[in-house]
Amino acid sequence: MTPAVPEKDALREFADNLKAAPRRVLETAFRSGPPTTDRTRSTFVFGNVFLHLHAVRTHRWSLKWSTTMGLGIMSVSAFLITLVTGVLLMFYYKPYPEAAYQSIKDIHFVVPTGRLIRNIHRWAANLMVVAVILHMARAFYTAAYRRPREYNWLIGMGLLVVTLGLSFTGYLLPWDQLAYWAITIGANIAQSPREVTDALGITNYFDPGGLQRLILLGSDQVGAEALIRFYLLHVMLLPLALAALMGVHFWRIRKDGGMVRPADADEQLARQRHEETYPVFTEAPAKTYHLAAIVRGRTANVGRGPENTVPSMPHLFYAELGVMMVTLLACVAMSLVSDAPLKELANPSVPENPAKAPWYFLGLQEMVAFSAFMGGIGIPSVVLIGLGLIPYLDRETEGTGKWFGGPGGWPLVRLSAVFGLCVPILLESFAIRFGWLREWFPNIPQPIVTAINPGTLLTLVYAMYSLWCIKRYGSVRAGALGLFTCFLGGFLVLTIIGTYFRGPNWVFYWSPADWPKH
Amino acid sequence: MKRNKYLLLGSSLAVFLLLAGAAVEENYFKEWRRIQAAGRGDEGPITVQLRQVVNTNLGVADRCVSCHVSMGPGEQSVRGAAVLVPHKAVVHDPAEYGCTVCHGGQGQATEKADAHGDVHFWPEPMLHKEMSYAGCGTCHVALHVPEQEQMRAATLAFERLDCYACHRLDGKGGTLRPDQGGMEGPDLSRAGMNRYDAEWHAKHEAKAGAAASGAWKTAFQPVSAEDQALLAVFLGTRVAAPKLVAAKSVFLSAGCLGCHKVSGVGGDDGPDLSSAGFKDPGQVSFEHVPGKGEMRNWMAEHFRAPASVVVGSQMPPAPLAEAEIEQLTFFTLSLRRKELRDVYLPKDRIRAAKFREREFAADGQTLFGAFCAGCHGQDGLGRRLPGLVSFPSIANPDFLALAPEALLKATMERGRPGRRMPGWLRDDGLRPEELKTLAAYVRSLAGVTAETDTRPARWVAGDAAQGKRIFESTCSGCHGKQGKGGEGPALNNKVLLESATDTYLVETVSRGRRGTAMAGFLEPSPVRPALARADIESAVAYLRTFEGGK
Repeated sequence: MTPAVPEKDALREFADNLKAAPRRVLETAFRSGPPTTDRTRSTFVFGNVFLHLHAVRTHRWSLKWSTTMGLGIMSVSAFLITLVTGVLLMFYYKPYPEAAYQSIKDIHFVVPTGRLIRNIHRWAANLMVVAVILHMARAFYTAAYRRPREYNWLIGMGLLVVTLGLSFTGYLLPWDQLAYWAITIGANIAQSPREVTDALGITNYFDPGGLQRLILLGSDQVGAEALIRFYLLHVMLLPLALAALMGVHFWRIRKDGGMVRPADADEQLARQRHEETYPVFTEAPAKTYHLAAIVRGRTANVGRGPENTVPSMPHLFYAELGVMMVTLLACVAMSLVSDAPLKELANPSVPENPAKAPWYFLGLQEMVAFSAFMGGIGIPSVVLIGLGLIPYLDRETEGTGKWFGGPGGWPLVRLSAVFGLCVPILLESFAIRFGWLREWFPNIPQPIVTAINPGTLLTLVYAMYSLWCIKRYGSVRAGALGLFTCFLGGFLVLTIIGTYFRGPNWVFYWSPADWPKH
Repeated sequence: MKRNKYLLLGSSLAVFLLLAGAAVEENYFKEWRRIQAAGRGDEGPITVQLRQVVNTNLGVADRCVSCHVSMGPGEQSVRGAAVLVPHKAVVHDPAEYGCTVCHGGQGQATEKADAHGDVHFWPEPMLHKEMSYAGCGTCHVALHVPEQEQMRAATLAFERLDCYACHRLDGKGGTLRPDQGGMEGPDLSRAGMNRYDAEWHAKHEAKAGAAASGAWKTAFQPVSAEDQALLAVFLGTRVAAPKLVAAKSVFLSAGCLGCHKVSGVGGDDGPDLSSAGFKDPGQVSFEHVPGKGEMRNWMAEHFRAPASVVVGSQMPPAPLAEAEIEQLTFFTLSLRRKELRDVYLPKDRIRAAKFREREFAADGQTLFGAFCAGCHGQDGLGRRLPGLVSFPSIANPDFLALAPEALLKATMERGRPGRRMPGWLRDDGLRPEELKTLAAYVRSLAGVTAETDTRPARWVAGDAAQGKRIFESTCSGCHGKQGKGGEGPALNNKVLLESATDTYLVETVSRGRRGTAMAGFLEPSPVRPALARADIESAVAYLRTFEGGK
């Protein structure tokens, strides 16, 4: 039997298909073709698993630099950078005491680009802490935490705590003197509820402090057990927690109506010079946006036309990628200039003096110097609870979406900044110049010092001031503005004193050059 | 909206440029890359790559050979840059042992300052070139080293007896007949490590007697027994590190072990010195140390004036010449013993650890130099130092003429409780036979013979009440109330009273002790009348009452 002569030239078809393959791969990947029309731009966004967290159109107000300053994206970018560099570092890092130190030395000296990768990891981690704090300040000052975004503010606080946790757990991993003694301090802070239970004489029966420390270290002292715990937390549990919280955080942004903007945002934009945009509808509008009405509440698009919005692809993505690259640029540039520290191998018999926690905890350590419990656990808890309550106490609407919006406004923030900076400076100057209760009455019971120390006094003064603001301006928002500004001021002052002006035995020095030479 | 686009473009370009710059820097501008690029081996240019010597048994991964390529395994011929010179011929080939075991520094580093340890956070900088032999102390211990006077005599004996004529030692000598290839006898540089034939002298004599002509006939003369003993000391300490051994002999003359421990032997007053060579320059103050901030300068100044370098130090300054202070520094830097795996445990360490051989020679002079000289002085005449209690002269002839054997023995074995003199009969102190040698040596210091005392240890039968009055009027000025001590030493000491015989006490009071404030009380002085023998005996009877009270 002879095969029938084929009707078409299959070889030719094969060649054509081969030629078209790259184009078809692209087509099938992006499904809707090149994003050149409004519709294809939209499908580009919602047809992509990674991008569909964004709305397909973005309000022009959200794209103004002054709206968010890119701080949220900066935090995410810093996280992504630490994620990538961190995974690279994991190829070489060995989480076992001396081996850990040796592996960091190897990463520093012989692993190709190892030093740069480690530096970027370190700078991105620091930048992430800064960006997260500034992002929180932005959300606060533009009153973005208000309805319907209250819950996302709480998620954000969770992200702040996890971010600090990630940074702190990473601190131990190099297993050098810096790491070892900083974690020793951290562990002692975890144990500080003993300050209270000891005073009550119940430590033998109920010892949450000791338990906390034991859970943290897995042993009586900082050793191999602690290292593997911190490692696990740092590379697995906390990143997973952060990713999960971030997912919720982003999803809520979309569901809570996008970026916050003032009620008169459209009028304000109309008054400004009209920038060149893509035309809104290049095809006949089919009013499909009414589908968005499924979303509860006053969201961006419900009941409105798409005026003053632009397609997210490419406008929003330019902005986001731009911030991401700026973040990367900052990390790379800093990494080329300054190496991540690596001191001597951890040596439990040679205490670092002063042993300092990472910089963002030095404000706490400053208060810990008076009372470990208050500085390390009491006041931070009060601050976190206070911050979390803000959206539920401030139910006002005036000034939402405006920088320093609300009763009092910028003048109140300015006043509070001065107040918030001066009070801790005065308190600290007093304590540094004249000492504190322990110096005056060496035998004073610790509970009194725990209750009365610069940290608690500071908290109290801030609280009183906030109440005064509420009364003076007749607004809870004014109290929040005052309190939050004071909190930032106090954080700044205490952190700076802890970082630059504390020497051996936590004694005040104007400069490290004045430190006693052993 | 366009500015976001430019932001993205600009920042991406900048990141790209920075990363490209970093890549170029990493791949082209590293110092070790430039050195290796200049290097030429037997077969032309060498491969530019990171090189290292890894020895897991010693725990080293030394990248030093990335720059010092020609010190690495199989690359001795590489030349082309200033650092590309081979290591001088040594028993411990750096290709096997790595570099940091001997030289210190940071082996993992690949940049000069880091590798040499001249950076802030590396506690173990490289040993100074002049002191590289201190690195031997990481693994080795020189055994049976005598104090420096004997060491010098022994060294001189080797030269005086012209042993260098035939034998080579530490690169010197053995050039008797250069035209016929030099050396006749074996190289003795390691005689102390490998042992040598104890019968050497008899064999030398026999050979010399049998020889009709040549070197054996002309070069060898019989050696006296004394010189043979000196040569034994000298050869026993030849471990190919003459500077280190000489430095150790200085250490053993300065009495350091009286207060400090080295490898588990010595006093407890000062810090243990077993790891003194690893002292971290980052952990000490250089405020009062002249010169560069290096450990050797710190050590030297610390020996000259301990209290000015270490606040509150109770260590007496070392009465040494500058050259000796340098040697002491050198030796202290060599105290850097590390734990070693069995494969690399050298014979000397095994001998010291398993067979309990001593690091110091067993003669009295060395024992005295090592354990006593720090306080009692190298001549035993005692020391008086501002701010410290005075250390008594034990070489005083009046003391040695009277001191009963039991007193010397008890004092050495049990010390003086409550004072700085420790008891030495303990596991981390001296052994009974060593104390015996030491006692004999102390006895010989003044060149007097001890008087024989036929009376029993306790014979005084004086009136203690009378003695009390006498003591309080005459003795307590110096010896304190109830003999608690003052300007003069305390007398209410348990060990003293138990081991001092009545004869010793009575005669010391009667005759006094020349060279000290203690005068003979049988003679009057311008400030007090003489005491009668009976009065002295009463005073001693009173002293005896302290014993019961304790």
